[in-house]
Amino acid sequence: MGQKGSKIKITEQDRAVLQLKQSKDSIHKYTKRTSDLISHEKQELKILIQNNPQKYKENKKTRFILKRIHYQEHLLDQASDQLINLENMLSNIEFKLVEKQFFEGLQNGNKILTKLNKEFTNVDEVLDDVQEQIAYQDEINEALAQHVSGVNDYEDEIDKELEAMEKELLPHEELESNPVPNMPSVEKLPELNNSKPKIEDTTPVKKPIDEEQQRQEPALLA
Amino acid sequence: MNFPPIYSFPPLYTRQPNAVIRNKQIDSWIDIILSISKQQSLWEIDSQGKFIQSDINIFDNKNIDRIVSPLFIKEILQNMIKNQKLISKDDVGNSSSYFILWKNLDSWASLMLEWFETTNKLNQVVTIYELTSGDESIDWEFHSMPDSLVSKCLRLLVKRGRATILKDEFNKDIAIKVV
Repeated sequence: MGQKGSKIKITEQDRAVLQLKQSKDSIHKYTKRTSDLISHEKQELKILIQNNPQKYKENKKTRFILKRIHYQEHLLDQASDQLINLENMLSNIEFKLVEKQFFEGLQNGNKILTKLNKEFTNVDEVLDDVQEQIAYQDEINEALAQHVSGVNDYEDEIDKELEAMEKELLPHEELESNPVPNMPSVEKLPELNNSKPKIEDTTPVKKPIDEEQQRQEPALLA
Repeated sequence: MNFPPIYSFPPLYTRQPNAVIRNKQIDSWIDIILSISKQQSLWEIDSQGKFIQSDINIFDNKNIDRIVSPLFIKEILQNMIKNQKLISKDDVGNSSSYFILWKNLDSWASLMLEWFETTNKLNQVVTIYELTSGDESIDWEFHSMPDSLVSKCLRLLVKRGRATILKDEFNKDIAIKVV
């Protein structure tokens, strides 16, 4: 018939299991047949005893049947033992197959693991490289940080310079805005006029000197 | 044996002339045959209407002293073949005895598949003897099913792509592997 086309494979193990099972089946058949025979013979024996309750012990046939029953029972025992052996063997095989699968699983896992580990072979190089890169990055950061701080200093100086300039310029404006000699009120209020120019004169003269000194300092540092 | 009450009804044994009534009569007979075969696990019947593994003569009711005529028995059996309650024992279809299907082949195949699944027999070789006569199938309906009927059911499993049949050197099916 057309069963050849099916995709289910019959392995050598299957064939071996089949042979074992076939022998198991025949022993099973045998035990069934033997126990049937024994119960049949026991029935026969009972009838014999019932038919001849006085002299059944002398009857050769009863003795013979009883012997046969014993013998069959002995064989039945043996057959049962063999059956158990075969069943044990079958379950052993089954378990071994499971173990085989387990082992194959382990092997596969190991293969994949080693393969994955191989991909990590230049891990030292990579790590060194990474370390180098990190060090380099630190250097760059430091360099940048210095530069930035330099700019900050510079900006401080600029601030100072601007402040100085402001202070230098503002008094001049005040001086210019104050119409000191031409104002007619000057003569009327001599005290105020004398005090104001005195204060404004002292500050502008001092500042330019500081400024120049500070400007020279960053130039020397750079 | 549990016969339905109609089994003791004498007119059941005489072929009814009215076609409508006769059809009902034949249906009753089919029901009786199927239920008795199921109760007694009788698998085969010959063309004379006698069960092969049993002495039961279903068409001879001694209690009411009635028998069914051989011609009418044939008519009943022909009806059963038509309804696929009987199938020929060999594949050619001209044997003189039949398998009685109180379940159709497909249901049998499914039931066997269920056995394979519930007893954890998947993916291993199981002999047909183990399936139908082993200790593990005693409580299942297909226990004691004849080998060639089993083969018919198993072939359906092969068709479904669930099984492979292993044969012996005489090309007889001996085992099956279900996945």
